[in-house]
Amino acid sequence: MHWWVVVVWIDQVLKEGIRRVDEVEIFYADGVEVSADLKRTNVNIATRSDECGLGIRTIDKGRIGSSSTHNPKMWRECLDAAIASGKLATPQEWNGLPKELSREHEKICYDSNLTVDPQTASDLLGGMLDGASQYSAEITSGTATLSTATEMIVNSNDMRCTKQHTGVSISLEAIKGQSTGSEFAQSCFFDVDPYFVGERAAFLAFHSADGKEIETGEYDVLLSPIAYAELLGATFIPALNGRNVHAGRSYLANHLGELIVDKKLVMYDDPFKEKGLGSTHWDAEGMPTCRIDFVKEGVLSSFAYDLRTAYRYGMESTASAIRSGPNGGTAIGHHNFIVDGPRTDVTDERVIYINSVVGAHTANPMSGDFSVELSNAFWMENGEFQTPIHSAMFAGNVFTMLKNICGVSKDVRQVGSLILPSIKLQKQHLIGK
Amino acid sequence: MTEPSGIRYHDLRHVTGQATLIDIDNGVVESAGTSFFNRAILRVLGPRGWGILQIDNYTPRSTKNFHSLLASAYRLAAITQQDVNLSEAPSRTLDVPPMKENPRDVSIEEKTSLLADIEKAAKFPKVVNRRANYIEQFEQITFSDSEGHEFSYEICRSGFNVLAVASRNGTVQMGYERVHSIRGFDLRHHQECGEKAAKVAVALLDAGHAKGGKMRVVLDPELAGVFAHEAVGHASEGDLVQEGNSVLTGKIGIRIGNDTLTIVDDPSIPEFGFEPFDAEGVAVQRTEIIRNGVVNAFLHSRETLAAVGNGVAGHARAMNAEAPLVRMSNTFIENGDATFEEIMGTCNKGVLLIGSRGGQVDPGRGIFQFNAEYGYLIENGECSKMVRDVSLSGEILSTLHGILLCGNDRKMHPGYCGKGGQSVPVSDGAPHVLLDNALVGGSGVD
Repeated sequence: MHWWVVVVWIDQVLKEGIRRVDEVEIFYADGVEVSADLKRTNVNIATRSDECGLGIRTIDKGRIGSSSTHNPKMWRECLDAAIASGKLATPQEWNGLPKELSREHEKICYDSNLTVDPQTASDLLGGMLDGASQYSAEITSGTATLSTATEMIVNSNDMRCTKQHTGVSISLEAIKGQSTGSEFAQSCFFDVDPYFVGERAAFLAFHSADGKEIETGEYDVLLSPIAYAELLGATFIPALNGRNVHAGRSYLANHLGELIVDKKLVMYDDPFKEKGLGSTHWDAEGMPTCRIDFVKEGVLSSFAYDLRTAYRYGMESTASAIRSGPNGGTAIGHHNFIVDGPRTDVTDERVIYINSVVGAHTANPMSGDFSVELSNAFWMENGEFQTPIHSAMFAGNVFTMLKNICGVSKDVRQVGSLILPSIKLQKQHLIGK
Repeated sequence: MTEPSGIRYHDLRHVTGQATLIDIDNGVVESAGTSFFNRAILRVLGPRGWGILQIDNYTPRSTKNFHSLLASAYRLAAITQQDVNLSEAPSRTLDVPPMKENPRDVSIEEKTSLLADIEKAAKFPKVVNRRANYIEQFEQITFSDSEGHEFSYEICRSGFNVLAVASRNGTVQMGYERVHSIRGFDLRHHQECGEKAAKVAVALLDAGHAKGGKMRVVLDPELAGVFAHEAVGHASEGDLVQEGNSVLTGKIGIRIGNDTLTIVDDPSIPEFGFEPFDAEGVAVQRTEIIRNGVVNAFLHSRETLAAVGNGVAGHARAMNAEAPLVRMSNTFIENGDATFEEIMGTCNKGVLLIGSRGGQVDPGRGIFQFNAEYGYLIENGECSKMVRDVSLSGEILSTLHGILLCGNDRKMHPGYCGKGGQSVPVSDGAPHVLLDNALVGGSGVD
């Protein structure tokens, strides 16, 4: 759909909506995604997805309603459904949507050199296969996806923001006997390294073969950014959500101002991070974004808020509203969540390196307790991968674990919207077979 | 425009519908509304592999315009290299089981009020948060293919979740109950679910951690169902077998459990994972993955059946209008003949594990993990101290030999399963099961 066509009906939605409720917010997105999938070493599927969606939110005397549709021509039904849902919502304190902000065509996460076509996706797969050929492992599957989309947020307070973004993601899975390995990369720019991704997936499968068992006991471990992200995402990140904090669903609710992690560490959201996957100048409600220091020198300093939660609890929005897609409502999240601290050589002493874990989502999000299976774990010394570990469980508590971080690696990597180092932990409980 | 030449097969799956969600959080109605969806997927099999178009806001096309879509999908298929073939498979549709009460006949105001009653029932001392969600999704699905098959149906899946969070002196625990069904509106008279969630959350404040290590465990029907799903179900999916990413590859006819163990996937039974036909228009039917301890069959789509063999097609499923993947539907361990008392008595010393917080498997490596909501230590065949945050991990090819007894009390539990970025409704079930030599991951110490 052309933009001038979109603008016409968006103005109609605003005009009709404001006649019936105090405020109206419209989110519209459309985009194209192309992907190619490998079955073993051959491409067996090429897909193009044409996506569009309209989300409408209405506010009337503190009652918030919402609805969405794939069909913009159904905007009247969608508006009716949003207003009807607002009538059932409990009214809350509400001081208005953002006003008179106009940003046209932000391109902070946009690469004009990124071509959304099947041949480019196929070439990325070929690059990964080239890299994987460095190790004796079989390829089981792989995917390369390219996308471009345009988003618009408009409200009845004359706020109008549009942005374009692009994306590329690649992944490969490999196996050697009964030893598996996988790797992935994701970027808004056409700068992923398929050769590295392929080589790493095959290396993990190859080098994890013929693993040895370990005895149950306490070990010094090095969590890779992937394993660290898996555990943080299941427990710590939801505990920073202002709604969870005020509703009684956060372990961190009563710890503001307290030392919660090692005092050398900082944790913050940087929405302006260069090449960050979540970089943006405004959040999903159109609020101007800013850096949020969740943890300063180990001390819990802030939680994340959207407008709804901030108004309800007398706080300020931290511009932390995110949207999973045009057909999902807004929620509290982050843009680029970063953990940092004094960088050291964390591989100088003998540790167990854990690349990822199986079952992180089964961790207890309230207490932070987890017990997961290791995946691609190795003895590591002087930075070198040594004997692989066949199988073991890792049990503990994320909130306790974060207080015992004794080293932060020099290198960091992006795992979804998290940008993390590897972290070294002393005396962690591993259960062997 | 005429249909492009060179197309060996095509099918179109169009999914429309609406979803109603109600969210009540500590007495506050956060949202109660309806959204609409409309997507289609067109698959074209070119000279080698698939070209697929996914279209938001699809409207049925004239023949000329449909041929233009076919041509677009066919051009995509040009980059494929793998020779994809489709097996013959029977096409048939089942009737969608009737609903006892159609949710359309109940106003959203009444639904909100009934959900609020369940949420209020979780109001107990030490409970600091109560949250209840109602989810109702009507889907209209139309399928047609180049072999002349045309089917359509409407199905409604609805249900609710209730969460209670208890807190005391910095300890935070939760209880969680859920009821979901394809059999119609089921939100009345369920206050007991709110109460149960609250009681579990409060009781867990005093629960200890299990000591990790190898031991005997008794799995309740819900958790034993998840065990079947994670330990066997995923590894039997034909696409993983075809890719060489399953330890069950080449294991047809091999014994991996004792005689009492039969594990089944059956999309035709009226449980939460029911499908009248699969996402390729193929008739659905029961597949015995493990029969009397022996690997018997894989789950298949038409493509994987042609490539791998051993099993039947009819197990291709898709979230809305996503590409079909080989998926489980209703997966269960068949009843044995042991009573619960016999199982507890034979266990004698171990842990009884109850409820599920989910699980995960690495099918190529053959290692799985799943987590119980809570449990009780078993001493002298009786339940004693409550424990929390207990996980199990195991190896597919060895752990099933540890199933010593299967009970006679199978129950099915609804849930959702994720694979390839798609979440589909499933049910898992089992009787109580006694598992020997299970690796328990707990952080407790002596």
